[in-house]
Order: sequence, then structure tokens, then C-alpha cells
Amino acid sequence: MISLRNVSLAYPNGTRALDNVSLEIGKGEFVFLVGHSGTGKTSLLRLLYREMGPTGGTITVDGIRVDRLRHGRIPALRRHLGVVFQDYKLLSDKTVWENVAFAMQVTGAHSKDVGRQVPRALDLVGLAHKSRMYPGELSGGEQQRTAIARALVNNPKLLLCDEPTGNLDPTTTTEIMELLQRINLKGTTVVVATHNQAVVDRMRRRVVRMEDGRVVTDEERGYYYLGLGQDQILSG
Amino acid sequence: MDWGKTKFFLGEVLRNFTRNAAMQITAIGTVAVTIVLLGAFLFVRATLAGLGTEVLNQIEISAYMAGDATAAQVAAVESALRADPRILSVTFVSKKQGLADFRDQNRGTIDMSLLTENPLPDKLRVKVKAPETVSAVAASIQKLPNVGNVVFASDLVSRLLQAGSVLRSIGIGVIVVFIVVAGIIISNTIRLTVFARRREIAIMQLVGATNTFIRMPFICEGLLAGILGAIVAIVLLGVAKLAVWPHLVENLSWLSLDNAHIDGTAMALELLLVGAVVGAVASWISVGRYLRT
Repeated sequence: MISLRNVSLAYPNGTRALDNVSLEIGKGEFVFLVGHSGTGKTSLLRLLYREMGPTGGTITVDGIRVDRLRHGRIPALRRHLGVVFQDYKLLSDKTVWENVAFAMQVTGAHSKDVGRQVPRALDLVGLAHKSRMYPGELSGGEQQRTAIARALVNNPKLLLCDEPTGNLDPTTTTEIMELLQRINLKGTTVVVATHNQAVVDRMRRRVVRMEDGRVVTDEERGYYYLGLGQDQILSG
Repeated sequence: MDWGKTKFFLGEVLRNFTRNAAMQITAIGTVAVTIVLLGAFLFVRATLAGLGTEVLNQIEISAYMAGDATAAQVAAVESALRADPRILSVTFVSKKQGLADFRDQNRGTIDMSLLTENPLPDKLRVKVKAPETVSAVAASIQKLPNVGNVVFASDLVSRLLQAGSVLRSIGIGVIVVFIVVAGIIISNTIRLTVFARRREIAIMQLVGATNTFIRMPFICEGLLAGILGAIVAIVLLGVAKLAVWPHLVENLSWLSLDNAHIDGTAMALELLLVGAVVGAVASWISVGRYLRT
């Protein structure tokens, strides 16, 4: 699903955000991207949805050569994937239903399809009963569910999450992670960048650890810290 | 036709338009003022052009025959002139008639008893169809046999024609300036509304909306602002014409002002078109600049 080969990224001011990163993520995988702030997690995700292009290397997402993508083809790529952010990025003057529908309407979807798929996405995230409410009337967890529904409404094969639980309390965090896991079970590839240790340690999924713009370890059933669970750190 | 899709689109345009109402009203007002000035200018220009044409159309060539020309020779010249496609009319003025006219025109200023014999030759009064051809026609009359002096107001003709062409080029310059000004105003307004909606645009780009789709509502907003501005301007111009024009005609009666040849409806449509095109193009440019960065 995702393939990065020798990808590097330098910002115009000279900062090296990514340094020779190679990474393969298969269809249907669930992958945590962990590391301290500023180690390149967000930069890596931005390359995947072509918010920017790499300085070097090749990137393939769902068969699309993202590093070579022409400006006019970016919308086509974005329709193949959903993106979720820490700050939800909802439109405050639109209801939950309208926010989710917006993602379809602006891609020129037929209104029949909108009417069919929006309720389905809202059902999946458990917000069907709040579809007429505005983001300001929702809790943080509900806002993030709305954002996830919006990311999923076009049935993407890939869901990218950048600190999806960064603003949420532990209980809500657990609920959101369970939702992401459910989505993954339906066949969607999910990539979550996070520095929430508890979540990573509890779920025991593939963990790609980054430091200073490089991938330092890649474990099949990993912990947040290399080879150690939370309890082991505390007792050790 | 997908009615749901259309409703969504129109809803977006209307929502954005009303949300930035104060800004849009400012833009519409300024565009209206610009178009009023443009319209007034076009009207004045058309009136002046009408006056010039009026004068030019009254210009005639007096072709005096040679003193010894016979009646047959004069008739030959006259029929040659009538065959010329550039010439509108030819009037024969005999010696006798010429003298009578002369006496009439100068009664009281010259002592007519001095005129003991008729010094005037026969004359043909020629009117041309297009004022621009006066000099050429006069020159070709001069070449005909048995023609003496050929006289016309050559100074007046050339000055009027020159004034006309200067007026036209100044006019084009002024019109371009007005259109650019209106464009800048609309594009600034649109840039502000784009800025106010940058979150929305970012989300649209994130979920894969094409730039064309993102642009559309803004273009429609600009179009709407341009058209509304033009409509306001046209109404103001119409009122001004009804209120002011009769007084002008009355007070400047010596100018024989006449606007019958000005097609008000056509001019209104032109202004409307100017407003619409300027609005759409200006917003296309200002959104495009934002989307590229």
C-alpha cells in the first residue's frame, strides 16, 4: 500500500526533516509511527498525502508515484486516502452531517451517493444521533469521530492519523483507538503517528520508531520504548 | 441534472456572499461608481461624436464651372458627378440663382448697386456620403473638364476628423483605466473573502477537491458583485439622464445636442457585460494566486 525508498526531505531553511527513510506498509496493516516531537512523523505523513514533495527518493501510495505527482493530479490521490488531525479541522458553521457530506460534495459526488454514504459513515463512528449538531456542541471525542467519518466517507483504502488523540482524555482516547481498530478490521490500512505511550503499549501492533528524521526500529508487535512494556520500565 | 448538487453549490455561493455582506457592499458600491463614471464618459463621447458627425455631414463642396462653360458641358459634369458612388447629392446653381443667393446673404452689408453685371459662374453643390472622402472627392472634381475653382472647408474637415480620432484614442485609454480600477477593487475583495475562508479551502484541498471546483464559488461571487455593481450604475445613469439631459438640451440650445443616435439599451448591456467580465476575471486571478501557493 505504501512504499518509501531512500526518502529525504529538507525544508528551504536547511532543516533536514527526513533522512534516507525506507519503509514498506502492506495492505490492511495497522502501523504506529512513534517518536518525540520533531522527529519527522508529521513530515512523513505530509509526504504521503502530498502536502509537500520529497527532496529525494521515491514514494508510492496505492500504486501512485506520489513523489512525481503533477499538481493537477493531487486531488485524485487525496480521494484515495483519508486524513485525521489532532485539531479535527471541522467547519464550525456546518453540522456534523454537513461536515461529513462536504468531503463528498466538493469532489462533485452525486447527491444520491452523498445521501447513502454519509449515514453509513456516521453509523460507523457512532454519531448518527448527533448528525444535526454543530461541532461547538460536541465533546472532543465526538468531534474527532466526526473528522474520522469525514475521512472515511469516500471509502479510502488508507487512513492517515496525525496525533488523533493528542487533545483527548484517556477514556476517549481508548474509544477512538478502538474505532480505528474496527476500521482497520474492515480492511482499511491505518497509519497512526502518536506519542501516546499507553495506547501503543496496550495495542501491541507494528511500531515504526523515528529519531532525528530516520527510522531507527521497526517491530512487528512493538512497544513505545524499544523492547520494553510500560510496566517493565516502571519496575526496572 | 442533480438538483442536490446544484442546491449545495448555490447555497455555498449565497452563504459566502451574505457572510461577507459588508465587504461585498463596499465592492459593489465602488464598482457602481466606476461604472457610472465609465457610462457617463461613454455618453459624453457619443454625444460629442454625434455633434462632430452632424457638422461634417453639412459640409459641401462648391464646384464652380469655368466662366465659358456651355450648358451641355455643365450637364456632362453634373451627370459624371451623379455617377460617382461616393457622392450623395448634386445640386445645380445657375449664375442667376447664385447672384440672387449672394444678394440675399449679404443684404445690408454690401452696396448691391455696385454689382452691375454678374461675375459668378455656374456652380454645382456637392454633398458626399462619408465626411472622410471630402478631400478626395474635391480633388477628383477638380480634374474634370470645364471645372474652375473647387471650394470646401478643408480646414474644418481635417480638424474635426483629427479631433475625432484623438477623442477615440483618449476614450480607449480612459475605458481601460476604468476597467482596471474596477478589476483591482473586485480582486481585493475576493482576496479578503478567500483569506476569510482559508480553513475551508484547506479542507477542500485535503479531501481532494480540484482547484477548478474550489475556484467556482469565488468566481460566481465576483460575477455577482460585478453584475450588481453594474445594475446599480445603470439605474443611477438612467435617473441622471432623465433628470439632467432635458436641462442640458435647453441651456445649450446653440449646440443642437441630440442623443437620438445613442442606443441606451445597448449601452446598458455593454456596461453590464463589463461588470460581469471584470468581476469574474478579477476573482479568477486572485483565487488562482492563492491556490498556487
